[in-house]
Parts: sequence; C-alpha cells; structure tokens
Amino acid sequence: MWVVRRIGVAFVLVWIVASIVFLAIRMVPGDPAEIMLSQGGVSPDAAIIAELRDQLGLEKSIWVQYRDSMRGMLKGDLGVSLTDQASVARQVFTRLPRTLELIGFAALFSVLFGVPLGLLAALRRGGWLDRVVMALSGLSLAVPVFVVGTLLVLVVAQWLEWLPAGGYTPLARDPARHFAQMVMPALTIASSLAPVLLSMTRASVIDVITRDHVRTARAKGASPPRVVLRHVLRNALMPVVTVLALHLGTLLGGTVLVEYVFNYPGLSGLLVDSVNARDYPMVQGVVLVISVLFVALNLAMDLIYGVLDPRVRRA
Amino acid sequence: MRRISTLPVVAVGLIAFVALVVPWLGLPDPVQIDVPHRLSGPSWDHWLGRDEVGRDILSRLLWGARSSLTVALFSAVIACLVGTTLGVLGGFLGGLVDLATIRLADIVLCFPPLLLALLVVTLLGPGASTLIPVIALVYMPGFVRVAYAGVLGVRHLEYVEAQRALGVGSARIMLRTVLPNISGPVMVQFSLAMASAVVLESGLSFLGLGVVPPAPSWGLMIGAARSTMAQTPLPLLWPCIALTITVLSMNALCDAVRSAVDPHGAVPRRLRWLLPPLPSGLSLAAKGASLAVRDLEVAIDAKDAEVRPVRGVSWEVAPGETLAIVGESGSGKSLSGLAVLGLLPLVARPAAGAALFEGRDLLRLDEPALRHLRGADIAMVFQDPMSSLNPVHRIGTQITEAILVHRSVSRRRAWQEAVELLAKVGIPDAARRARSFPHELSGGMRQRAMIAMAIANRPKLLIADEPTTALDVTIQAQVLELLAGLKAEEGMGVVFITHALPVVAEIADRVMVMYAGEVVEQGPVAEIFARPLHPYTAALLRSAPPEDGSLPQAIPGTVPLPQHLPPGCAFAPRCAHRQAACEATHPALEDVGPDRVTRCLRWRDMSATAQTQQVTA
Amino acid sequence: MTPLIEAVKLSKQFGGGGVFGFGARPVRALNEVTLSIARGEAVGLVGESGSGKSTMGRVMLGLTPASSGSVRLDGVDIASLRGKETRRLRQRMQLVFQDPYSSLDPRRRISAQIADGLLAHGLARPADIADRVAALLAQVGLPPAHAQRYPHEFSGGQRQRIGIARALAVDPEFLVADEPVSALDVSVQAQVLTLLADLRARLGLAMLFISHDLPVVRSLCDRVVVLYLGRVMEEGPAAEVFRHPRHPYTRALLSAAPNIDPGRRRRRILLRGDPPSPANPPSGCVFRTRCAWAVEACATAVPALAEAVRGHRVACLRVEDAALLGDPDINGPV
Repeated sequence: MWVVRRIGVAFVLVWIVASIVFLAIRMVPGDPAEIMLSQGGVSPDAAIIAELRDQLGLEKSIWVQYRDSMRGMLKGDLGVSLTDQASVARQVFTRLPRTLELIGFAALFSVLFGVPLGLLAALRRGGWLDRVVMALSGLSLAVPVFVVGTLLVLVVAQWLEWLPAGGYTPLARDPARHFAQMVMPALTIASSLAPVLLSMTRASVIDVITRDHVRTARAKGASPPRVVLRHVLRNALMPVVTVLALHLGTLLGGTVLVEYVFNYPGLSGLLVDSVNARDYPMVQGVVLVISVLFVALNLAMDLIYGVLDPRVRRA
Repeated sequence: MRRISTLPVVAVGLIAFVALVVPWLGLPDPVQIDVPHRLSGPSWDHWLGRDEVGRDILSRLLWGARSSLTVALFSAVIACLVGTTLGVLGGFLGGLVDLATIRLADIVLCFPPLLLALLVVTLLGPGASTLIPVIALVYMPGFVRVAYAGVLGVRHLEYVEAQRALGVGSARIMLRTVLPNISGPVMVQFSLAMASAVVLESGLSFLGLGVVPPAPSWGLMIGAARSTMAQTPLPLLWPCIALTITVLSMNALCDAVRSAVDPHGAVPRRLRWLLPPLPSGLSLAAKGASLAVRDLEVAIDAKDAEVRPVRGVSWEVAPGETLAIVGESGSGKSLSGLAVLGLLPLVARPAAGAALFEGRDLLRLDEPALRHLRGADIAMVFQDPMSSLNPVHRIGTQITEAILVHRSVSRRRAWQEAVELLAKVGIPDAARRARSFPHELSGGMRQRAMIAMAIANRPKLLIADEPTTALDVTIQAQVLELLAGLKAEEGMGVVFITHALPVVAEIADRVMVMYAGEVVEQGPVAEIFARPLHPYTAALLRSAPPEDGSLPQAIPGTVPLPQHLPPGCAFAPRCAHRQAACEATHPALEDVGPDRVTRCLRWRDMSATAQTQQVTA
Repeated sequence: MTPLIEAVKLSKQFGGGGVFGFGARPVRALNEVTLSIARGEAVGLVGESGSGKSTMGRVMLGLTPASSGSVRLDGVDIASLRGKETRRLRQRMQLVFQDPYSSLDPRRRISAQIADGLLAHGLARPADIADRVAALLAQVGLPPAHAQRYPHEFSGGQRQRIGIARALAVDPEFLVADEPVSALDVSVQAQVLTLLADLRARLGLAMLFISHDLPVVRSLCDRVVVLYLGRVMEEGPAAEVFRHPRHPYTRALLSAAPNIDPGRRRRRILLRGDPPSPANPPSGCVFRTRCAWAVEACATAVPALAEAVRGHRVACLRVEDAALLGDPDINGPV
C-alpha cells in the first residue's frame, strides 16, 4: 500500500517537472527556427523562418503544443528533434544506458569505498586510522569533480599511460576497453560521493553503538562481530541510505562535468548540445528522462529504506 | 553553543580577506593579453607564470578568488534569507502556506542542482547576474527544509506551548523562541551552501557557462588550461590547488560550525570492548552467595578530572533471594548493576573492587569469558523496553539469538523454545507474536519479551534495572507478579534496582539503600522499613504519600553531584539530625546487627527514636 | 452555585480524514466527559496511559479545541470567545507541565520566562517587573537573587517551581497541573506537592491535578475522577473513593499500587491483558475486555455515571451487585 502511494507521488512530481520545463524553455529568448537557419551566419528571410516554424509545428497554440507533448510522453513518444528530425526518444534512449552504467559504477565504487572505511573508522574512533581516513576523505570531498577528472587524465592517461583518456567503446565490440574507459570517470564521480557516505556511516555507527539495544545484545553474550553486524550495521545503514538518496543530485550532476572531461557520450552531453541549439523537443525529452531517472532513484532509495526499517512500512 | 575551533575560521578569513583587498594589491591586469609570452614559466615579474594567452596567472588567481567568493556569498545569502523565511512561515502558519512552500522545495529538488543551473544559465545567458539567482535557487530548498523542520521541531516543545498558554502572541513567539532555536541548523546550512556554491560556480565556469571571459574564475582557468596541460601542467595546477585549498577550508569551517552548534556531549574517545586490567587484590570467598560484590568503585573520566559516582559499594545475593538496590537519581544504583556485567556506558569504567561469582572475579575476567556468562548464568533486564529491543528484528529472532549464542541447538528448536518462553511470560497468542516487531507490541508486552529473552538460558542471577518504572501501575503489577513467579520456579537470585520503596517492600527480601554513590543502609527489608537506622532511609519512607491522605514529608535540598560532595557525611546538609561531627568526618559503614549495616554516626539515636515512633507508611 | 469551570460532554478526536482515504483511523482521546470544578476546589484526574487525561487538561484550558461538547468558564462557553476575551481567558487559567527539563526555554533567563505572562497581559509596568518576578520566586521558595540564571543551573525540582511561578505570574483562578511531580525524585516530589497545597490554600486556586499516581492525588485533592480510555469510570470525594472504590477498574488500580506497609496491602486484582487501543475501543463499557466481572450486557450499552452514594458516582452496570460490594477482601481492611 505504501509502495503504491510513493509511486503515485513520483508520477505527479515528474508531470509537474515536465510541464515546468515545457513552459520554461518556451519562454526563453531565441527562436529555434531562426537559430537553425542562421547556422551559416546568414540572416534568413522572415518568410522562410515562418515556413520552417510551421513545419516544425511551432505555429500551433501553446495549449495544443502542450497537449500534444504530454500525450506523446505518455505513449513514450518524445517527438522529433528540431535539428535533424531524428526521433528524440531514440537518441535519448541510446545515450541513457551509458549514463546509467556510469552512475551505477560510480555508486558502486562509492559504497565499496565509503561504507567499510566509515565502519572501520567508527570502530577505531580516535585512533590514527580514524584520523587518516577522515583526512583523506575530507581532501577527496574538497577537490571538485572536474578537477579530479582533469588531474586523473593528466596523470593516469597522459603521464603514466595506464588507462585511455576518455571516449566510449560499446561493450560488445571490446569489453576490456569498454571497462577501461569507465574506470576513471566512475572513480571521479565516486571521489565526491564516497567521502559523504564514509562520514555518514561513521557518524551513524558511532551513534548506534551507544544505543540501548546494542547494550542488550552485549548483555545476551553476543560476540563483538555479531553485535556489529546484526545489531549495529543494519540500524546504522538507514541514515546512510537517506544520505545516498539526498546526494543523487551529486551523482547525476557529476555526470555532466565528467562526461565533458572524459568525452563520454552520455545523456548530459546531449542536454548541453540541445539547449544550445534550442532544440525544444530534445531538451524536453532529455529533461524528462533525467527527472524520471532522478525520481526513480529516489523511489528505489525509499523502498530500500522500507526494507531496512520495518517501522516505515506502516506509514 | 560551543566555541568554534579557530583554524578553519582563520583559513577562510584569510582567503576572504585576500579576495577583498585584491584591487589594492597592485597586481598586473588580469585580462591583459600578451600572446608572445604565453605559457611562460614563473619569473620575478610573474610569480606563477603566464597562461595560454599570456595573462599573469597569480593575478588571475587572486581576482578569480574575488569573483568566485562574491558569487558564492551573494547566492548563499539570498538562498538563506528567502529559503529560511519561506520555511519558517510554512512551518509556523501551516495549512496552505505549508503545502506550497514544501512542495515547491520538493520540485526544485527534483532536479539535480548542476543540471538545473546549467539549464537556466544556458537559456538565459552566462554572467554573474544570472549566476547568482540561479545558484540561490538551487540552494534555497535546503534552507526551506531546514527551517521548516526546525520550526516543526520547536513548535511542539513544551516551553513554546507554555508561551501560548500564557497568551503570548504568535509573532513574538516566532521571533524570540523559534528563530533563535533554528539559528544553529540554519548556520550549518549556510556554511554548506557557501562551500557548495563555490564548487558549483567553478563547475559552471569550467563548462564555459559561468563567469563571462575574460573575467577570471578558477573554473574558467582550469578549463582553459586543459588544452595545454600536456605541454605545461603548471597553469592547470595553480588554479586546481587554489580551488582545493579554498573548498577544503570552507568544508572544515562547515564541520566546525556543525560541531559548535550540535555538540555531542562526552563521546568516548575509544570504543572499549575489553575492561582495562585491574590491579589484583582481594580474594574473599563468597559465603554461599551467588554473587558477592566488594568495595566496587566506578569512575567517569570527565573533562578535567575523574569523578566517582559509585564508591565503596559491597553487596551479596544468595540463590533464590531478591536484593533490592534503592536510590534516587544520582545514587549510582544503575551503574553498580551495570558494572558487574561489564556493561557500563563507554565513558565509565570500574576503578576498584571485585565482583565474585562462582569463584571468579567478574571485574577481572577477560571479555570472552564474561561474554560466556552474560545472558546465560547472569542475565539483565533494562528499564526502557522500546529502546532496549532492536527495532528491526522480530522479537522471536531476538530471543532465539539469546539461545543460539550460548547453546548449539537447531534454529527450529530455538524458535520453538522462544515461542514457549513468550507463552510462559504471559504473552497471548505467542506463536504469532513471536513474528512481531517491537514497535507492534505494547509497553507491557515488550517488557515481558525482554524478560523472556533474559530467562531463556535459565540464569542463576537476574539483574533488573528499573524494569517497571516506565510502565503503568496495573501493568507494573502484572510484571512484578511474573517476576515473583519465575523466581520461585527457577530459584533465581534477583537484583532489583529501583527508586520506588513500595515496590521494594513487595518483592524484595533484602534491601540496599544508596545515596550519592554510597551505601547508606543495608539489611532485611522488613527490619529496615520497620526500624530505619539512617536518616535518609527514614526520610525516604516518609516522603511517600501516607495512607491516611495527608501530605508526604519533604526532604529539603537536593542530591549533591559527585563532583561537589560535601566534606563529611554526604547527606548531612539535608539531614534533620545532623551535628557538627557529621559535617566534619565522613562516616564509615558500621555493623549494627546481624546482617545490617548503616552509615550514620548517630544511628543509636535513630534507633531510640524509631522505637518510640510508628513509621506511617 | 455555578462551578468555576465545567466540561460538558467533552469529546476529543485525533486523526481521521486524510487524502485518498489513506488517513489513519480517528482516535477518540475523550468520550463525553463531564466534569466540574468549583472555586478553590482541587480535583484529581487519574488514569493510565491512553486514558486521555493529558488531553483533558489541554482541552479544558482551550489549548486544543474540543471535537464536541463544551468547556464553560463561569458559565460562558470558551469556544464562543473572540479576540481580547480569549486573551483574558489565558490569564484566568494556567498550566504546569510534567517535564521540568523541556518546559523551560534553555536559552532565556528564568526572569524573562516568568515575566512573559506579565508582559503579554500588561499586568505590570516595565519598571515593576523585576520586583514582581522576585516576589513570585519567593512565593515558590526560590531565592529571588537567582532570577538572572538560566534553567540549566537549576535542579529538576527547582525548575518545576519556576514553572509554577511562571503560571502564577498572571494571577490565575484555575491551575491545571499535568503530572507535575512524575518526573521528579520521590524526595523532591514531596517538596513540590507541599508547595502546591500551600499555594492552593493561600491563593484559593481551583486545581485540576492530573496524575497516574493515586496516593499523590489523594494527598492533594478534594475530589477524584478516574478515567479509562477517554471515559469517566468513577467520580467522588477523594477519601471516599480511596476507601470504598466501587468501579472494578478503580479497585484494580488501587490494588495494583505497591504498598510499603504489608498490613495495609489489598488483595491484588490483576487485570487481564493490555489496554485496548484508543483507535479501536470496545463496544459498550470500554473496560469490559479486562474486567473480571463483565457480563454480556456490558458489551451492548455504555453504562451511565450514576450516583451510588451521595457525591460518589460510578459508571458500571453491576455496581449494585451485592457480590461485588460485599467482598471484604476486595475492599481492603479499612
């Protein structure tokens, strides 16, 4: 029941965002037809502009455009790109998996580095290990994502030549190179998320360890590893999941800069290009997909939280 | 609010100061192009060299600081003012305003910040005038959320309710009480927003969508230096370092603000699973007792000094006997019980004494041996069953854990036993209840479940720390009855820690009265209640409302803190029978009869008075 | 003689509604409670958790609106008051809280907090405020010199006195004390109780003393009202109800209280099971699910509060039943 309600709310949010984008992009100065025709630096004739606008359906009233847009979205049809008449959906969905893959790896690296180190730091709180881990974590967080990316390219790709500097190879064609090209971008994004997870895990474990139910577990005679795993970790992970959800924005936002630095042909790059070209349908399509992605990821976090904490399932 | 540690403040202050005075530093023009000398290395005229079109890097670096910090500051301030106002109004006024502000914040948060900023900037054109409102918009929801949550949290606090009851107007309450209370989290959010804004602005500039060139910005410099980084890495490294140091300082400031606002009290420095080794000493045999505690002392390491909330406490429990440890807050009764099993809170540690159980000193056992005993031979029941049970495990699972940790039986068998135990402690429909989570049970049932968990391995001794204090009177009666029954059946020794004398009278055989960390009287319950030989015990008995409906008699004054113990008898300042000797010398425990001790210089006088007086219970 | 304050068939419901029918079930905290307090009278409201006693206090003060029924102050329905008259209401009735630690603002000096009421109602000129605060502190037994201190510098018992001083500042006629001593140590409880009794005698305050602790209520109050799951079970003079409890719940409550003197212990009546959830109360008499004397009739009709002996009213169908009354064990030795 609670699942259904969450999903319903998610849908409403997505619809609101799509509508806002629809309006926003149309309120902005710059006419797509004019831009398209001005490519060569030539000022086009007003009549030709009007004809192109009509062709592109830009002459219809705003309400009609809105209705068509929304209807199309529900059907999965995101319209056609104004620049090259190709299907927006196809472009978007070609690029989407690449960005998803990147995000997936970034999240994986973040969790793999952040959570165990945070746990370790909490258990050895105050010791040298704790201090070293926290210092490194702070440093990693402070260095902006594009700086990390750029420096990685400089050091790892250009100086050491261990990994390719960027680009993308489909998995089918060359799996080794595919993954090799994924490592640095994913690590770059992880460099800003892992420290957050680490410090949250550490704080949460320290908090939970002093709670009464942990004392009860010790009173039962449970061994320290058992206490940590069964009684501390599961309770401590809940705020970490929340934080992960809050920082999804970091993940998705990070992809913009990282795709740029590593020449990775993902969704974010498409967004930048299409905004520059005032390609309304493309922008709308990309924004819609990104916000659906964002909302879906948040939903997934909520559901995971529900699994971890049975008290939430009632709400 | 505590003081903020100085280093981050100094670092950020320095950077801000530099950014402020840049125009007066006499630096070369940051936008002056000089292509013939492009990418030249450091020299006397240009300390950090020149960039890809010949501009002085140091100058651009410092001017860049100015622009980045300015943008960040303005955005953060706008976000703070607008966001906090919206959040406070929404939280305080409720209703439609509430809905509108929160939903609005949610929608903005629906989109990743960088993408949102990117979208708006690309559409409206780059430059500080679009940058500042956009970044402010991106961080506004954070403030709305923080202010909203803060207001909600405060709105239900009792002292706010008190002000409403007094008739103080809403606006006044908001200004004088609500705002100061949320100032902490808002400040934390502000420092976060500023740090993030610097990063966001440089990211946008990196993409060419931030500050308009040729105006300098670190992000812009990094972006531009990328193309020539293979040849000369220096023009890339300088802005990277500057940016990193700035963000690092700002993050450190955020952390410092956060800890100043939300101090975590005495968080232990090390996580100690093992008790520190005590100097070996006494080896008194316990005469037929299950557990004999001798001269126990517990120490807490406070900021400057060590405090001893438990001093020289000795007691014994025989098999099948119930000993009650009675005291008010600050008496040290709970700590005494926890110390025995090595379960003291992490800030405390046993400092002296011994706890003999079956020939072994519990305070000197290593952790694995102690673990062997916990939950098996000696079990413990705590005061608050809601927080003492793990909220994410079913109670059946928690009981089976107690079994499986000590005995090797099959999981199925352990579950069966758990269900039987739940039935034994009087939980109806035990098989179904075993699958419930703690929050699905009532307080009384939770406490019964805790008891079931404690007796799962048929302990020889049960230590119960205020097990009925949090329960309603009728439920308390049920639980006391349960404990009495179990005790009779299993022949367990019970140590019952409480502050309520009537409960002691009903269930205990012997009682130990504690005051300010010491034992003041000890002996059989009936005797002590009939003839108390310590003024505190007598006063405690009189402070319960008597049966005839008259008012109870108060004890003037308050319990002294362990840091501020009076010289001489700890109870003397409040004692109606005190004499000069009482305030000068600290009385020792005296034997006043078979199995009776008291810590009062004037016990003989007390005894005489008690004989001519009926204790009105 | 009209009572000072009167609750007439007061009901209070929480929750219910909600969007798309996803809302929680409504919880009836109070169900048709009628209660009156005369000038200078102290009435004890007794109940366990879920009885609705705290809600009662707040509804009577007008801090929470009633769902149905009314509260009348000197015959006037407080819900009908507007604007300035509501202000005046706040001055005539005050509240003392349970938790001495959360009822004072940790960031403000106690003098400011005590003066809040004085300022809100314009009861003293700014120049006189310091004197008034000092007088109030003296009245509750605290040194006036401590007026500029912060709450954390005081002990629990002292904070509770400050809370009382704050309430007294506006010269109320009626005081609701919501479990004022439950959070305090036993020895300190007696201090605050003595203070309340003293103030009541001197100032002629009417009082509603809410508590779960029966002996405490008895020592302070003239009359006592026993509440269970939002309904009145028994009502009467304190001494009478304690000596001759007639409702099965009151009997169980009194017998459950542990007693120091073994000679005065009552035979314990153990209630079966747990209190039902207020969201899902039993039909008819709400106590019937745990009552040892329940019969079928108890499930069909809600028993009315009927007078058993003068001034002593009981809501039980079987109150006249000789078997219940006549059993000497259950009534206790007195």
